[in-house]
Amino acid sequence: MTRARILALARKEWLDLRRNPGALLPVALVAVLAILLPLVITFGIPRWTGDALGNDSDLLRLSDAAHPERGLSDSGRVEYFLLQQFLLLFLLTPITGAMALAAHSVVGEKQARTLEPLLATPVTTVELLVAKVLGCFWPTLGISLISILVYFAAILWLAETGVASAMLNPRTAVLVLLIGPAAGLVALQAAIVVSSRVNDARTAQQAGILLIVPLTGLLVAQFFGSYWLSTGMLAVIGVALLLLWLLLLALSTALFERETILTRWR
Amino acid sequence: MIAARGLTRSFGGRTVVENVSFEVGRSEIVALLGPNGAGKTTTMRMLAGLIAPTRGTVSISGIELSRGTGSDLRQRIGFLTEAPGLWDRLTVRENLTVYADLFGLSPAAPTIDQILDTFGLTKHAGTRAAELSKGTRQKVALGRALVHEPDVLLLDEPTSGLDPEVTRSVRHLLDERRAKGCAILLSTHNLQEAERQADRIAVLHRRLLALDTPARLRGRLMTGRIVIRIAGDASKWVGTIVPFGEPVQAEGAWLTITLTDAERATPLMVKALVTAGADVLEVRPEQPALEDIYLHLVGEHP
Repeated sequence: MTRARILALARKEWLDLRRNPGALLPVALVAVLAILLPLVITFGIPRWTGDALGNDSDLLRLSDAAHPERGLSDSGRVEYFLLQQFLLLFLLTPITGAMALAAHSVVGEKQARTLEPLLATPVTTVELLVAKVLGCFWPTLGISLISILVYFAAILWLAETGVASAMLNPRTAVLVLLIGPAAGLVALQAAIVVSSRVNDARTAQQAGILLIVPLTGLLVAQFFGSYWLSTGMLAVIGVALLLLWLLLLALSTALFERETILTRWR
Repeated sequence: MIAARGLTRSFGGRTVVENVSFEVGRSEIVALLGPNGAGKTTTMRMLAGLIAPTRGTVSISGIELSRGTGSDLRQRIGFLTEAPGLWDRLTVRENLTVYADLFGLSPAAPTIDQILDTFGLTKHAGTRAAELSKGTRQKVALGRALVHEPDVLLLDEPTSGLDPEVTRSVRHLLDERRAKGCAILLSTHNLQEAERQADRIAVLHRRLLALDTPARLRGRLMTGRIVIRIAGDASKWVGTIVPFGEPVQAEGAWLTITLTDAERATPLMVKALVTAGADVLEVRPEQPALEDIYLHLVGEHP
């Protein structure tokens, strides 16, 4: 595996994407939604209704699960709980990116008949697939990280004193820097596995749903206070996702049949 | 340099290429001729290591193409595919640069500039591939196959869609590559192109029906007819040559005669004509067109 060939192909993916910004629209929309939804629920609704979050005994009880810092006010504790919960929404950004971009990557090459000359170069299957993943991964990760920065800026501006600094904890770091990228890689690789086996992008896009469903379940379960994923548990999940990505990379390499792609595609 | 031995490829129960063996040496151009569905593209793909033969082997410079050697050997092959396969959103220069990088060319810019210049693409360097005409796309694809100066060129219909001027420049370019020691296999439907460009012609129709120089292929269908051009009206010399063979046809300045032993009879016949006072301008065996040979070979093996 050579880094130069991977970089050459990843750069091509990036150039292709830059000329087709519409492809990133679903990712941007999810990012905007991930920023607005928590802000509206945590800050907007209490201000419109005049009912402070700290007055809701059920929310206060649930917020204990998040182990908020002792110095926070009641409203601050609930804000911290809700804003931590909604961090999971940001995991949807790279996953949506995966569905939108990676699904097109192999199918698109097949349909444009650009794959045959590419396969006639020294590029190996692993290099090709890694490049495809990275080419889609960096833009979506970039959007995801920018949206998280906007989220934190809004928290700094709108939240009770101490909430923003409380949010900057190891749990947030694991979610943003490990689980987010790892979930994105898994979703991308899954979409590419499907993309190299099917003949339309929509089918490949559906692969991403396989990840969104458990993630949504996790989000809902946390809201109902069923459990709280600790930093350690999240780190384990993050590492497991990275291992799953490597497994999927091996699987996609094994399933990528050059011959079938060339001879059954017209 | 390229050696195919017993190449066979089946898809399901259908054999597309059967027991094909040939070699293309250094500084040689071999044209692969055959009708649609004859197995030309499949043969090309097997030689480029894109699909594996069901039976048989491919060697490039003595190294057998396999899963293990594929990546290294592809480094030495330039393959022009049937469809240009350009990335539409990338410019011409970007398309070439990605391939130059994949082949490890460093620095790539001077080579790319040279390719752009050779194919008259400099003014299109910043144009997106989607905006190019069919002929220009084909030129870019051809440039892409040459970008790493490969030892072996596999060209599937290289002049398809090109205007005569560009076709000629491609021909010159291939001649140059041949002079530099490149082994070139090109598939074509264009008999004229094959005849003009190729040192040898391989006629493929699932199996290899013939592989020889254009002249020798013609020899296979030699009619034994001799064509003579004489100054003035040729018809008055019919009686002079009738004793040498029949039938004799006269048309304008041309006489055509069928000789049973052309090697022995031709000098005697010319001597008789000259002695009788004819001004003989040209004497040559009647050569069948390559098209006739091709149709004859393919027709024999439907």
